[in-house]
Amino acid sequence: MRTPPRLACFLLRLRLSRAHYECIAGDLFEEFQQQRRSNSWFWHQTFSVLGTGFRALDHLEPQSRGLNAMALFSDLWQDLRYSIRTLRQNPGFAIVAVFTLALGIGVNTGIFTLLNAIALRPLPVADSGRVMSVYQSFRGKFGRNIRNSISYFSYPEYLNYRDNNHVFSGLAVSTDASASLGGANPQRIEGQIVSCNFFAVLGRQPVLGREFTAEECSKADAAPVTILSHAFWTAQFHADRHAIGSTILLNRRAFTVIGIGPPDFAGTGVISSSYWAPIVMQSTLIPGSAMVPDTNSNFSWLEMLGRLKPGISTARARADLAVIAGRIDRSYPGRTTTLAVDTATYLREPGARTAVLAGSAVALLAVGMVLLIACANVANLLLARAAARQKEIAIRLSAGASRGRLIRQLLTESTLISLTGGAFGSLLAFWSFESLYTIVLSNLPAGTPPLALNLTPDLRVLGYAVAISAVTGILFGLLPALQATRPDLISALKEEGSGFAGHISAGWLRSALVVAQVSVCLVLLIAAGLLTRGLQSAQTVDPGFEMKGVVATYFDLEQQGYDNAHALQFHRQLIERVSAIPGVDAASQAVTVPLGGSSYGTMIELDGVQGPQQIKFNNISPAFFSLLGIPILQGRGFTEAEGQTAIISEGTARRFWPHQNPLGKTFRMGKEKLSYEVIGVARDIRASNLASVDKTFLYFPAKLEYQTSQNLLTHTNGNVATAVKLIRDAAHSLDPNIIVIAKPLEERLDIWRLPSRILASLTAALGLLGLLLASLGIYGLVSYAVSSRTREIGIRMTLGANPVEILGLILKQAMRPVVLGLLIGLAACAAASRLMSVLLYGVSPFDPLTFGGVALFLAGTALLACYIPAKRATRVDPMEALRYE
Amino acid sequence: MPSREFLGEFEQIVLLALLRVGKNAYGVPVRHEIEHRAKRAVSIGALYSTLDRLEAKGYVASWFADPTAERGGRSKRYFRVEPLGLKALKRSQKALAVMLEGIDLQRV
Repeated sequence: MRTPPRLACFLLRLRLSRAHYECIAGDLFEEFQQQRRSNSWFWHQTFSVLGTGFRALDHLEPQSRGLNAMALFSDLWQDLRYSIRTLRQNPGFAIVAVFTLALGIGVNTGIFTLLNAIALRPLPVADSGRVMSVYQSFRGKFGRNIRNSISYFSYPEYLNYRDNNHVFSGLAVSTDASASLGGANPQRIEGQIVSCNFFAVLGRQPVLGREFTAEECSKADAAPVTILSHAFWTAQFHADRHAIGSTILLNRRAFTVIGIGPPDFAGTGVISSSYWAPIVMQSTLIPGSAMVPDTNSNFSWLEMLGRLKPGISTARARADLAVIAGRIDRSYPGRTTTLAVDTATYLREPGARTAVLAGSAVALLAVGMVLLIACANVANLLLARAAARQKEIAIRLSAGASRGRLIRQLLTESTLISLTGGAFGSLLAFWSFESLYTIVLSNLPAGTPPLALNLTPDLRVLGYAVAISAVTGILFGLLPALQATRPDLISALKEEGSGFAGHISAGWLRSALVVAQVSVCLVLLIAAGLLTRGLQSAQTVDPGFEMKGVVATYFDLEQQGYDNAHALQFHRQLIERVSAIPGVDAASQAVTVPLGGSSYGTMIELDGVQGPQQIKFNNISPAFFSLLGIPILQGRGFTEAEGQTAIISEGTARRFWPHQNPLGKTFRMGKEKLSYEVIGVARDIRASNLASVDKTFLYFPAKLEYQTSQNLLTHTNGNVATAVKLIRDAAHSLDPNIIVIAKPLEERLDIWRLPSRILASLTAALGLLGLLLASLGIYGLVSYAVSSRTREIGIRMTLGANPVEILGLILKQAMRPVVLGLLIGLAACAAASRLMSVLLYGVSPFDPLTFGGVALFLAGTALLACYIPAKRATRVDPMEALRYE
Repeated sequence: MPSREFLGEFEQIVLLALLRVGKNAYGVPVRHEIEHRAKRAVSIGALYSTLDRLEAKGYVASWFADPTAERGGRSKRYFRVEPLGLKALKRSQKALAVMLEGIDLQRV
């Protein structure tokens, strides 16, 4: 095709209305091409037009934009049809682009689905938008007892809010209570104890039986009744309707089953509930202290959920409840309570919510990076394609299509690609998520309670997928579109533009995309590498005590109604029986199992040290130190009959009695300020956290107190699995009803490795996905460069360049953006890796092995991606290349 | 008073060209028709300004259709002679014929 004089076109465009330009320029263009008219003819015609006054063609002029939705719609439709047509002409490009984006968008949608299930999806209750969660936070002077979270309420506070608010049609409370289920198959089950209006406030009716009545909550211990979850009823009673009216044993007490919950309801927490019981049954289900009815208003243990009255706004509810909070504060001078009233979701408690949202932000950032790499890839593909389409675009431009109109056309095309990719990716995510979720669950340590997560995609997930796809389409489409429609018509129409260096700015853009890809990819891979190294080090880290052959056993004596005296008797008999098991050579009590995840703390006072000191402790039998192989460095261990004595850790000695002999020193503890004497110093161990040695730690001889919470540690020379079974049998021979959880100590390590294992596999998967995409991008870039420089390479070869020199030339240019990307990525990693240091277990966040190794690995992969197409350049036949154009 | 107005010579030529070309009457063929038959160079500016004038009088109608690649994707503006235009053409031809009656231009 020939180009008409551009200035003439421009003048016509200036002079004429749209409709006139459409027909006149069209006629001139047609005749110019078809009849091979000369440029002077074109100019002559142009002047004839410029010299003529035209009447307005109102009925033919296109309507002004924005006002006419129909025109806009028909434009869009036209663009869409055109896009589908062009994509079908080039299915290879379309498939690669859609596949790339499907991966990128799929992982994003997947992570968002999880976030949605945990923190955004409303509770499965009637008219969920009207159900509010209420939490409190305190400022100023206050002291408070806490179960689970300080943001919870006490029973008197609940009654106060329930009876004095003007905004809720009902206000309910609940709290988690895991109970020991008795019977043929004793086990621990999760449940909630709730106010008797719980189901009414949530608007969920039992599918069988009835709800709790107000009378059942009238006085403490009044009603041992329970409503079972649908899942639990199905599993335990095989969905038998006669379950109503029968009894189950919870913490050794008979509870009458009065109802079965709806199938899609598993409580209001993240953990699935198997049963619900009236709050007045607290002393049975949460043994220990009496919290109902309790006059102690200063005890956080209940979560509140309220249903707004019709027509009441959230703001109004906040104001109304704040008045009550202010009234309660009057009894506590110096304390200010702030309430948080929000639509209730599964994860409501403010502290946990903040943590999960922060974690999700990090995860979304990581998958966002992968999407960015995918975008850069497709943008690169589009740039290459735009180069091939330059002529088409140039003609449309010179024929008067506005640049905006063309950009809109190109963006329609890229959005079409991204929406298709998004649809595929999201479907992939939804399908694979169930199985992925099952895999994650099966990797959780045994005994993790079931989670009540609903991962079915809802409108929110769908909206997110569509939005992210559309944004993606614009993100990767805009730059190439701007680039392709640059009004640089002459060189484009001449078509010879790509013979030598090609478009300098387009090349720059493509290199920049590779820089971005490589650096993002490096960040992900180094994070994965550091976490994996951390895992390795967690495998080999010395906790300071022996784990091999040690079994830790937990009993639910407290839930079974044991008091300390009975528990002590139980443990004495049990140790006797366990010691008789073949292979078992030591048995010891321990109120906390090292690295078991829980700890006991107390305050001690010392001479010469200002104020009370917080310190963690363990109550143990004399055999404890030898059983775990912890050496006593100074003094002696415990004997069977100990007085007011304690053994301290090395760190404790250094901290409180530096450069002194700690033996014989004393400290005071407890309400009565009883004095304890230090009789020994034990080597430091990692008791509370695998990542660090406890700085201070105390050991006391196990006595009467805490007996209901004692664990049993046993060491065996024989088979651990057999020992586990025999220990369980021994305990059940003493009391067949108790729940015994016996596990090798080494399994506890898995819990500590879990977060870094999940993070490591996630970042590694993302990093490798990123690497795959980035390699494809680099490969494409180099292939394009080679093919557009065939002629140049041919000339060089004719002039005497040998293949090695050509290869070097291509590789040098191709690797330049890769190296720049590596440098940027390394800098970013160095800045960010410190954030992960808690998960690294002794590996430096700047671990040179990881940084160097990953960078080399990435560079090698990139080199390979360059090498394959670059090798092609060396096989160019000079004669062929010179004939190429 | 359009009904009493007479057509100019070029206007008549254009109307006749439209009638001759028929269904395919848009800029390019119309101009060809005039150039080849009347041996008269027609600038595109003159053609379109005349067509616009005829359309404003209601003698012809026009619409856009049928964009092609060789036109850079631009639509053709097709023209059709309206009954009013046909009437005006007949009137002008009749007036000419009446005026010519009894005159032999070759001999004058």
